[in-house]
Amino acid sequence: MKTALKVALACSTALIGTAAAAQDMTIGITQNNVGVDSYQTTYEQAFIAAAEANPDVEVVVLDAGGDVARQLAQIDDLIQQEVDAMIIWPTNGEAVIPAVRRASQADIPVVITNSNIAEAGFDFISAFSGPDNVTQGSRSAEIMCDRFKELGIEDEAKVVHITGQPGYTTAIERAQGFNDRLPEVCPNVEQIDEQPGDWNREKSQQVMEAFLVQYDDIDGVYSGDDNMGVGAMNAAIAADRVDGITFVGATNFAVGYDAMAEGTYWGSIYQSPVDDAEAALQTAIDVLNGEDVPFLNYFDTPKITQDNMDEFTKPVF
Amino acid sequence: MTSANRKDMLKRGAIWGFILLELAFFSIIGDQLSVSDQPFLAYDNMLLVLKQSAPIGIIALGMTIVMINGNIDLSVGATFALAAIVMLDSMTWPFMQAMGDWAIPLAWLFALATGVIMGAINGIIVWKTGVDAFIVTLGAMLGFRGIVFMFNGEQPTSHLNWTLVDFAEAQFLGLHTATWFLLGAALVLWLLMTKTVHGRNAYAIGNNREAAVNAGIRVGPHFIWNFMLIGFLAALSAVVFYSESGSVNPNDGMLYELWAITAVVLGGTKLAGGYGSIISTLGGVIAIQLLRKGLGHIGADTQTVNLVIGLILIAVLVLDRQLNRKGQGELKI
Repeated sequence: MKTALKVALACSTALIGTAAAAQDMTIGITQNNVGVDSYQTTYEQAFIAAAEANPDVEVVVLDAGGDVARQLAQIDDLIQQEVDAMIIWPTNGEAVIPAVRRASQADIPVVITNSNIAEAGFDFISAFSGPDNVTQGSRSAEIMCDRFKELGIEDEAKVVHITGQPGYTTAIERAQGFNDRLPEVCPNVEQIDEQPGDWNREKSQQVMEAFLVQYDDIDGVYSGDDNMGVGAMNAAIAADRVDGITFVGATNFAVGYDAMAEGTYWGSIYQSPVDDAEAALQTAIDVLNGEDVPFLNYFDTPKITQDNMDEFTKPVF
Repeated sequence: MTSANRKDMLKRGAIWGFILLELAFFSIIGDQLSVSDQPFLAYDNMLLVLKQSAPIGIIALGMTIVMINGNIDLSVGATFALAAIVMLDSMTWPFMQAMGDWAIPLAWLFALATGVIMGAINGIIVWKTGVDAFIVTLGAMLGFRGIVFMFNGEQPTSHLNWTLVDFAEAQFLGLHTATWFLLGAALVLWLLMTKTVHGRNAYAIGNNREAAVNAGIRVGPHFIWNFMLIGFLAALSAVVFYSESGSVNPNDGMLYELWAITAVVLGGTKLAGGYGSIISTLGGVIAIQLLRKGLGHIGADTQTVNLVIGLILIAVLVLDRQLNRKGQGELKI
């Protein structure tokens, strides 16, 4: 009787103990600028929803409003509040490094989300959670090549390439992924030109206008994101040459999705802010649970084309 | 006389009463709502309030003097970014790199000089053209920001120097480096405004410019000095802040002019000039930072924080107007 009671007591205490320990997980996040575009707004909503769905975690959700000083203050606040882990969407990939070092000195694991910090800060973070831009580039190359094979022009097609803003890691990595992968899958396709479109639709439209004047035969256009892709497509529509051209982009925007539905734009890479947010939270939880997390922890960004677009909801941005 | 004094005391004390109210609110209600186990009133947290007040605070101190003058400076945010770029970029110049860590004080000097020059430009234009400072510095705000963007496009300018970071992160007698700069600047400016001829002239000019001119105060040069001072302080704020972060976005410091003005007005300085105090501005800055931190502590989002600060600002102005109107009524009787 006595022992049974003791055992029961021990069991229940152990239960309470583990439950308390599990609930104890407090994770703070400081985001870049929530109100500025719908990607970031959706990200925040998805992050809060994911945290509420998980009874083990409590989250402190902060937003820097695009202000570096505010973000650094928020990082210091989270350190002072002794959160168990911290997720940072950097307003500036270098300015946060000293603050991230302070967090690491306070033994708080830091996960960087969406866009990585500079390499000087890698020693102080546990993981990066975000999209893999090299893979996005190579997947775009595969989409392009598969389409050329469907059309039977994989041995003669000519491609032009519009990149993002020079110097931006995202732009460099996507271009690298595309340029490396295309000759592997379609060795006879020739890339005849590559120019920056600076993530800007108008700039990209001008670049494409120049391409159309310069080259009589263009079969494919790859753009670093859909915003630029739609700009290029509009140039081709204006020149009445849109029919023979396969447009492939990355980061599927709503305009890209619509153009795919209309049949003028071929394909893109689907990057969901919901997946982005959930991956960041899961990475932080895994780090806290002592699981082996890859340092560059990418979430999946699948291919989307006119063929499979009904599997995806229209992007909100 | 005594009742006027008492009312003055009351007005000057109002901001500190408001701070006490905030502290009480966030430590009683805030600690209930917060997920953190740390009390809001924790000593470390209060030290952080002071440190985090520094970037806008140092600028707001200068803004107080300019506003006591009856002027305003909208270009401080852009000057802040420009000084930061000069400081961080100058450390990558070959001759500076050859100097090792001795380049740091020189880089600070370059940044502070940039601020003083920008301020002098504003001051000279205000003096020589007689155009209202609001318009002149509005133009300067756009112009200086243009220079910032010309410098490195949309890209951040960065130079991470750990010696500099260690200096900025240091805590001397418990207070962070940034706090020392804020309190030091407040002390010097308080002495300037209360113990010197320049300070008394600033009030005189703000009260009645023509009377000041008639009294033999050289108003133009006085303005230039004050614009150079606020330019210097905007640069000093940048020096303190970017020593710790080492990278400046081209849009950094945007809206800082408005936050500084908010802090100054919360502190009771009159927009029309002639009345105000450095110490009360310090209170205004701390009040804003407490609000930001406290509302973050209870889980309000950034937009809500801005809304609340905006509402409080309007409430303060309405209250101030009511009090003054009553005061004038009393005088007539």
